[in-house]
Amino acid sequence: MERNELRPLLRRMFPRQRDSLLPALHFLQQELGHLPEWTLQIVGWHLRVPASEVYGAATSYAELRIDPPGDHVIRVCQGVGCRYTGGGQLLGDLIAALGIQPGETTVDGSVTLEETPCGFLCPAAPAAQLDGHWIGRARAEGLIEHIQGTV
Amino acid sequence: MDALTRIEGAARRRLAAGAAGKTRVVVQVGHCSQALGANAVAEALRKALKDRPEAQLVLAGCDGACFAAPQVIVSRPGVVSYHSRVTPDEVGHVTQSLSAGDSILPTSDLEGFFNPQHISVMSGCGEINPSDVDEYLAKGGYLSLSRALSQTPQQVISEVLRSGLQGRGGAYFPAARKWQAARSVDTDSRYLVVNAEEGEPGLFKDRHLMEGNPHRLLEGMLIAAYAAGASHCYLYINAEADLSAQRMEGAVDQARGLGLVGVNILDSGFNCQVELRRGAGGYVCGEETTLLNTIEGRRREPRLRPPFPTESGLFARPTVINNVETLANVPHIIGRGAVSFSHVGLDSARGTKLVSLSGAVRRPGLAEVPMGTTLRQLVHDVGGGPPPGRRIGMLAVGGPSSGVLPPSQWDIQLRPGLLHPSGVVMGGGGVTAVEEGVPAIEVVRLLAAYNAAESCGKCTPCREGTPRMVEVLDRLASGQGSPGDLDELSYLAEIVGAASLCGLGQMAGGPINSALHFFGGELSALARTG
Repeated sequence: MERNELRPLLRRMFPRQRDSLLPALHFLQQELGHLPEWTLQIVGWHLRVPASEVYGAATSYAELRIDPPGDHVIRVCQGVGCRYTGGGQLLGDLIAALGIQPGETTVDGSVTLEETPCGFLCPAAPAAQLDGHWIGRARAEGLIEHIQGTV
Repeated sequence: MDALTRIEGAARRRLAAGAAGKTRVVVQVGHCSQALGANAVAEALRKALKDRPEAQLVLAGCDGACFAAPQVIVSRPGVVSYHSRVTPDEVGHVTQSLSAGDSILPTSDLEGFFNPQHISVMSGCGEINPSDVDEYLAKGGYLSLSRALSQTPQQVISEVLRSGLQGRGGAYFPAARKWQAARSVDTDSRYLVVNAEEGEPGLFKDRHLMEGNPHRLLEGMLIAAYAAGASHCYLYINAEADLSAQRMEGAVDQARGLGLVGVNILDSGFNCQVELRRGAGGYVCGEETTLLNTIEGRRREPRLRPPFPTESGLFARPTVINNVETLANVPHIIGRGAVSFSHVGLDSARGTKLVSLSGAVRRPGLAEVPMGTTLRQLVHDVGGGPPPGRRIGMLAVGGPSSGVLPPSQWDIQLRPGLLHPSGVVMGGGGVTAVEEGVPAIEVVRLLAAYNAAESCGKCTPCREGTPRMVEVLDRLASGQGSPGDLDELSYLAEIVGAASLCGLGQMAGGPINSALHFFGGELSALARTG
């Protein structure tokens, strides 16, 4: 999406009222994978909300990303239900296999590893999310094979 | 002929023309089972059944037996076959049972899981096709709405008050009292907001209801809106609950097409619009005033109360905020009467409760049990006890705004209010079994770190106090602790609890206080070694 395309697009899709803010941010994140700073500014212009408040809202929600993630994102559930039912082991295996800590991206930019406090599929523990898709009774080898298969 | 009879008759005719005499092959596709390959199983079955016109493939929600997911149930009159943990390579077993003369009985695990339950709000989940309003209508769906619309709003409120229905999001406030309060404000518009954020770690109940039987929730919403005098409903669904949102959206569209949502519903003169909104992550978003801020496009922060939302809520209008499970109970109460609801459960807490059971049990899943069921019954009867060769050391009950309970406390009954004076509550009904040998401090640290990360920062005691709790716990865990640390922990728990606006801070001391109470010896030993 180009910078000059965004305003007309927002005008078509979202009424110029403040309660369109989250729907607009959701849409942009879906399109771009994260929320670059320039998009926040333009959303603010469109909705007549100061950029500082757009930024404030965008950074206060766990599901919205300001920084671009790697090509693949693995999020490993570390809720009580998962962590002690194989999730701790799963995270450890991934740290060892990828050579990065949670919150980091591999040097080649291919994989971002994150922890998540709950995926809400506790009976399928241990759970991990790969590029937006949840996988239950997950194993580290399976996740890594999956990434290598799609690269 | 009244409007609903006409709609229902048409639905029955469509069903009879489409599916009569066919063998029903139900694949349970829900948030959990999708992660276990249910979509691939459904796809494999679609291919395998292409040349079997006698079979009707249905993608349902889940019945709660997540340990057996993905499940496929094949049924025709007199013969029912249950298939657990199906993989795409094994759908041959399923197609064979299409023509088999004998049933394949549910496994003993399935029987053990369901026998202690009392299915009411979950009825239809895992059987009914959530994408087909006709199936809901043919089972008597929207009859309760039709009945409610023939009564005055006050009669509906009285009936639900009589049933004793309390909110099932965690606070257990009488649901119809909110309707009454909003209704009593003189205004041009009121809102009903459905709290489907379900952001409490360890919970997966509202997702099951929305995925499994979306029209039931929608019917409950419409009845509540009518009673409260609301003409606009916001259905606020968790950012990650895509399948719930998809099925609810489909249900709302179908209902709108039949005149069950919109203007002059069922020729009653009642108007009600329904709009879907998605959350964007964060435990505190499930707090009701924060949820209102989120819809309005503001930061996720709670508001000062008073004014209460029923006086001045969304866009400063009177607003009723009800949880999904609460509203899904309403059609039953209106359809079958308050007594039919209230004869189950405790005198002080009527009805059933959905419990999200996870962790170190043989049969984790979503169970519906009468209020007053003990933790022991849940873990051992429903959950089948620990996996072979293991033992359970503690239960984390009610998520991070609650606490932990050792085996000596498992005769406690599930009920609203404090389960134990150290701060353990039922919350939304999450129960997680933790294996023996996991140090209490690790579990408490996990819960405390969650509260610290999720604190929105509005109240200083919570913003500063919750990370401080984690620091002290880390010091203890690393062997650097001193005896004063335990006192500091209880002090922090007290201050943060007393000086915070919303439930997150108010209850943040629960994990710490309950651990100090029940696992004090273990923690003191750590403090002494420092």
